[in-house]
Amino acid sequence: MDAVVVCDLTFRYWPDGPDVLNRISFQATPGEIVAVTGLSGCGKSTLCLCLNGIIPHSRGGEMSGLVLVNGKDTREHRVASLALEVGLVFQDPDTQLFSPTVEDEIAFAPENLCLPPGRIRERVNQAVTLLGIEAFRNANPNRLSGGEQHLVALAAVLALDPPVLVLDEVISGLDTGGRKMVADTLETLRCQGKTIIVVEHDLESVAFADRMLVLDNGAISRLDRAEAILADRDWLATRRLIF
Amino acid sequence: MQLDPRTKLVMIVCITTLAVIYSTPGRLLLLLACTLLLLMMFRVDAGAVWGYLRPCMPLFLVLFLVQAFFVRGGAVLLAVGRVPLITGGGLAAGAGVVLRLGVVIAAAVLLTTASSRDFVLGLVQWKVPYEIAFMVSIAIRFLPVFREELINVVNAIQLRGVDLKQVPWGRKIGIYRRLFFPVVYGALIKAQQLSEAMEARGFRAYPQRTYLRRLKLNPADYVLMLSFVAATLVLVWVQIRP
Amino acid sequence: MAFLELNQVTYTYRQCGRPAVAGIDLAFDRGGITAVIGPNGSGKTTLTKLMVGILRPDAGEIRLENRPLRSYSLAGIGRRIGYVFQNPNQQLFCNTAAEEIGFGLQCLGWEQEVIGERVAFYLDYFQLASYRDVFPLHLSRGERQRLAIAAVLANEPSFLVMDEPTAGLDAYRKRLLSDYLQKVVSLGRGVVFVSHDADFVRRVATRVIGLESGRIREDSGGDRGHAA
Repeated sequence: MDAVVVCDLTFRYWPDGPDVLNRISFQATPGEIVAVTGLSGCGKSTLCLCLNGIIPHSRGGEMSGLVLVNGKDTREHRVASLALEVGLVFQDPDTQLFSPTVEDEIAFAPENLCLPPGRIRERVNQAVTLLGIEAFRNANPNRLSGGEQHLVALAAVLALDPPVLVLDEVISGLDTGGRKMVADTLETLRCQGKTIIVVEHDLESVAFADRMLVLDNGAISRLDRAEAILADRDWLATRRLIF
Repeated sequence: MQLDPRTKLVMIVCITTLAVIYSTPGRLLLLLACTLLLLMMFRVDAGAVWGYLRPCMPLFLVLFLVQAFFVRGGAVLLAVGRVPLITGGGLAAGAGVVLRLGVVIAAAVLLTTASSRDFVLGLVQWKVPYEIAFMVSIAIRFLPVFREELINVVNAIQLRGVDLKQVPWGRKIGIYRRLFFPVVYGALIKAQQLSEAMEARGFRAYPQRTYLRRLKLNPADYVLMLSFVAATLVLVWVQIRP
Repeated sequence: MAFLELNQVTYTYRQCGRPAVAGIDLAFDRGGITAVIGPNGSGKTTLTKLMVGILRPDAGEIRLENRPLRSYSLAGIGRRIGYVFQNPNQQLFCNTAAEEIGFGLQCLGWEQEVIGERVAFYLDYFQLASYRDVFPLHLSRGERQRLAIAAVLANEPSFLVMDEPTAGLDAYRKRLLSDYLQKVVSLGRGVVFVSHDADFVRRVATRVIGLESGRIREDSGGDRGHAA
């Protein structure tokens, strides 16, 4: 079964406004990493919000088409219930970190899942070790640097242990060390059969992806193997995706 | 010595009760002094308290003036012809209202000494529904963040070359008025994004949730809670007995 | 005489054990594009905030145009140095994109026509013209980033300090920004920016300063025209 199925997804914020997403269709299988890229404003973040149910449940607007995550239709399940299948790391770390310490922040998700304290502690330790953030485990997330906050936000979502992971512009906020840590983590997760969708506008940082989805003004302009797209410099240049 | 956040909550409720019962400036001033002393014992520095009181000053001034002009009683201090404008009673009422608010705000600052997660744990262990506990805790936790936001915006405005201190009052009000809407709207958007982030990590997926840590009340907590409640009851009885 | 000078500057955040930056000695002239690089938490953002006076150093001194930075008001600094925050949301507070760009000039009392021209120019250059009447916080992150940069650039300050200006930008807009910065420098103004983007740094910077744990680890030199 495909982990993520998007079929004819169309979305606009206002009835007479432009289509932010225009008939998007693609699937992702377990153990696959799909990169989503495109110029700013092309709808990448909006697509992320559609994948975990925030669109349509929390934001207004008109959505048509189908989004299935691990078989669940995002229109029929609440965001909190979809969190069992898909974890989304948002673009802005400072609006998703609200706990007094990093440890509390990471524990938040497993607590919501009603796991016993022993298992919660295990998940926290795993996430901390995977991302190498032991050093600021007891720090106040608001006092950390931007890159460190991105890592904490990712750790907090990893503790959810969802089959599908969606990262919205997380990698480009990190330094070289952080990027390596995250790339290694994603590789580990891929081997565990997870499906990972990474949204980035910096193509080189997602060279490790299996497939790449290029959006242009809300529509798919190309969906292909990542290496094929990255090798096609001419095409990338005409789309203004490389410097 | 780490006190359970519930103990602090009990203290705040006691102090707030007394603030509501008392109405004379003398008693309220004494209460305020005791509250500040309490805060000092919890190592809250005076600067932080002032940081919360200072933005309320304009409100205090307005409330004071309203009471001073409209409440009559006692000696007449200022009159226009035969019409008394400000009376001793009015001043006392004004001072009373301001001091009362001051006490409540200062007491609330005590909440910031507890970790917001511990605060949630405390409330939940006292059988408050977790949704409410989180709501309250996040509201409290975001007060300093909101303040920092305002400071950031003021910095950003000044760094665009606008000297707020030198702009004439007429223009200044115009600037603040124009900024009011985007800043408030920005705060609302943040609040929405925060609630989305919480839901996206499974908040309210189930009617219950488990917790990594549990709080335990120490003997010190019980002693303090009981003494505060007892003292408050005595003081209230002394105040309201005929 | 350097435009902006830091002498033995040290700063520690409250409730933090070790200093965020320590013993920083730096001099910046107008002209030239300097990049400040370093791992997460190495003090880059703190350094920029000290340079524009948002934070006051615990030790050491900062001088701007040969006067102590302390002697300027934040607005006075803002008229000489433009600062772009790392998070665009922190510096967007107007009702429309056009208003945002014209805000500084409006408050300084410039003529409406001149403001209109400047606003139109910057909206166009950063490809925000179709968003001129949109509420800034409704824009996508990349668009907000460009708007924040445009709003600061519109005042045409003689020196620019930017904290991760490329973080939200796609390749095409990064090119636009780098072109603009090079143009600005050719007019005799200076730029200092913090970035993780090694590619952008390589293409654009004439001087590279590396920070690590709050100290300067490398400095490719105070001379203009010597690339890293």
